Amino acid sequence: MDNRKLKIGIYELTGCAGDALMILNCEKELLDIFQAVDIQSFLMAKSDNIEGELDVALVEGSVTTEKEIEELKDIRQRSRIVVALGLCATVGGIQARFQNPQEWQEHFRKVYGDTSMELKATVSKPIDAYVKVDFYLPGCPISKEQFLHFFTRIVKGTPPEEYPRPVCVTCKYKENDCLLKRGLLCLGPLTSDGCGAVCPSHNLPCVGCWGPVKGGNWTSEFYLLKEKGFDVEAIRKRMANYSGAKISEFFKQLDRRD
Amino acid sequence: MKKITIDHLPRVEGNGGITALIDGQTVAEVKFYINEGPRLIERLVIGRTPEEDVSLTPRICAICTVSHKLAAVRAMENALQLTVPSKTNLLRELMHMGEMIESHSLHIYYLALPDYLGYPNAIAMASEYEFEVKIALEMKNFANHIMKVINGRFVHGENTVIGGFGKWPSRDELLWIKSRAIQFMPFVLKTVDLFCTLNYPDIPEAETLYACCLPPDDKFGFWGEEILVSNGDHLFRDDYRQLTNEFVVPHSYARRSRYQGQPYSVGALARINNLGERLESEAGRMFRKYFNEHWKKNPLYNNAAQALEILYCFERIPQLVDEILETDDFPEIVPYEAREGKGTGLVEAPRGLLIHHYALEDGLVKEADIITPTAQNAEDIERYGVIAAQTLLDQGKEEAIRDRLDILVRAYDPCISCSVHLAEVRKVEDNNWQKRLQEIKSQKSPLFIGIGNPNEGDDAAGPVLIASLKELGYPALLASELKEKELPQRLNSEEILIFVDAVNAGKKPGEIVLIPLLSVLHSSTLSHRFIPFIPHQMSYSQLKNSYVLGIQPKQLKHRSQLSAEVRQALHKITEILKN
Repeated sequence: MDNRKLKIGIYELTGCAGDALMILNCEKELLDIFQAVDIQSFLMAKSDNIEGELDVALVEGSVTTEKEIEELKDIRQRSRIVVALGLCATVGGIQARFQNPQEWQEHFRKVYGDTSMELKATVSKPIDAYVKVDFYLPGCPISKEQFLHFFTRIVKGTPPEEYPRPVCVTCKYKENDCLLKRGLLCLGPLTSDGCGAVCPSHNLPCVGCWGPVKGGNWTSEFYLLKEKGFDVEAIRKRMANYSGAKISEFFKQLDRRD
Repeated sequence: MKKITIDHLPRVEGNGGITALIDGQTVAEVKFYINEGPRLIERLVIGRTPEEDVSLTPRICAICTVSHKLAAVRAMENALQLTVPSKTNLLRELMHMGEMIESHSLHIYYLALPDYLGYPNAIAMASEYEFEVKIALEMKNFANHIMKVINGRFVHGENTVIGGFGKWPSRDELLWIKSRAIQFMPFVLKTVDLFCTLNYPDIPEAETLYACCLPPDDKFGFWGEEILVSNGDHLFRDDYRQLTNEFVVPHSYARRSRYQGQPYSVGALARINNLGERLESEAGRMFRKYFNEHWKKNPLYNNAAQALEILYCFERIPQLVDEILETDDFPEIVPYEAREGKGTGLVEAPRGLLIHHYALEDGLVKEADIITPTAQNAEDIERYGVIAAQTLLDQGKEEAIRDRLDILVRAYDPCISCSVHLAEVRKVEDNNWQKRLQEIKSQKSPLFIGIGNPNEGDDAAGPVLIASLKELGYPALLASELKEKELPQRLNSEEILIFVDAVNAGKKPGEIVLIPLLSVLHSSTLSHRFIPFIPHQMSYSQLKNSYVLGIQPKQLKHRSQLSAEVRQALHKITEILKN
């Protein structure tokens, strides 16, 4: 590898800008980040942005307009590596709840009426619905520690590690009381780790905001919660809140068994 | 026609833009738009529990996440008729200070200051202003730490719940926050001096209305049960709709608001204008030292107001910690039993008034209404945009428009995630009056009003066109007839007014322009001609809905005829309106 600085672009599609903000929240490391790599484009932080060939594009937000589809395809075309940053980019975000176009249209009309909008909106999708994604960094928003580990690996040219563990693993390390045992609707077993099990560590059930963990046993959790007396509809709703467009496969599993 | 477009405004939170359309010597329109798509948050909380709602809605915005959490929790607690111990409110207030300092310091030092010092970004600024850049980062880091300690995480923390907190911070953690806040005071005072003495340009300047929460007990603060408008009006929280009558514009997924037909501003400048007299100690002293008439009418002073609020927060933090630690108890989460109810929560987000309103039925959210500050500011941003662009154009400084619009939008500290990025200048040469006239015609029925003297050559364009429009069956009249007609009645209607006149727009004789009345009124060269004809009763909405259809005259000699060019132009207009 030569000593040329990697060219990086940080992009925001539709979302809360929380993942870009988390990068700016690396206060102590920020000047080093800007020195270690060549940040070509980062709209939230600078105005002299250059849109050209990139080594790594970090994309946050979900795709919700036709213009964003075009922008995303353009980013993919000029980037060696594309990373989905945060829950919106990885699963479509909380706004990806309405995947059925008719249902989405109905809700859309209730908010915006019949005004013909200049920017054509579409059903919210994760970025891998339109382009190939090389790495995923989940979280709502991403965690600083997780981002810095990831970023260091990328700068050194090593593939970043994946996070195939559920929140429960960290909960065990922290010796937290199991909230499921206490009868709370906790989504820890189904949710990607990386937050540091922050909610259970505050005596609060995991809401699922890192998105579905790979290999999570949804069916088992569903029946466990049902046995504990939770309403079936309430469980499905809770599971759907932060799973975005990727919930349907789990519900298919469930429906096959029912 | 030239178009100045800032497509992706840099150094703001989110993705938005601003466009100014310039036609000859007038600004045809300024649009503040949001590039982000719809997220339908108010729809996806329907049918969810109050707990799920207060977890989901803060995801609207990363930088105002704590304010969203507090507005949602307050609305729910009002709906559920739940009262929390005053100690819980003190800890919430301390957490809110964290967000104010974090957001304001990020904005003034990293997003806005490069504008005034001439750098593309804060990192480039670091070589010369290393001390400021580094300490400001530490300040931001400290503010994030406050939110993490209390809310569980920098962004989208979940520790704040309906009825209280999942876990209370320890005494040591709170005492550390207090001592660290005191250490920052010298830098905070320097920050106020720096941002209150920056050379803010005096364009744009114009009066506006300011709205904010009215904090209880004559104190300064960031929450209340009432909204205070700078004209003296007080609105109880549940009557918020009187202020925020939202409507949709085609160029933005953020719904807009006007108060009694007027655009208004919210944010740090609104709070300082409305409540600055209430500031005490150092913040009060600094307010009296720096506040002046410009703060009341120049949105760029928002940066100074934010610096003043940072000082207020740093003085309030040690007091809050002391008040919290007065007793040793850590209140448990207050449970609730209610399953029905309606409630509104008012909170000041860093960039202004934030409102959450919910109706609950059978323990689930039935209705949700969320009104964000940037969506409320959008109308005033456009109005100030017109004023700034037109004033610069009149001074022959067209090249300065783009940068000024950029700085203007940024001064508002728009949080586009909340409402849904910023500006670049693009110029296009197309005068598309035909298309726009057809659009207006297809939307609503316009009333044409002719201005001009039938005996002075091309000045007769207005009256001549009115006569032929009357023949075509259009509602049309002469400005001289205006006063006797049933004007008040017409002005209450949703009618679009189109003033027809010979207009010197620096074009070839017979060329036609269609420009909003609002720009004409802010133009020093054209306004004197139109103002006598504009009925005083017109509200801002009507002004914004009105246009000037202008024809470039060839000659205006007394007792002469219409020129062939203007005659042809009138023919073109009637042809379009015939179909």
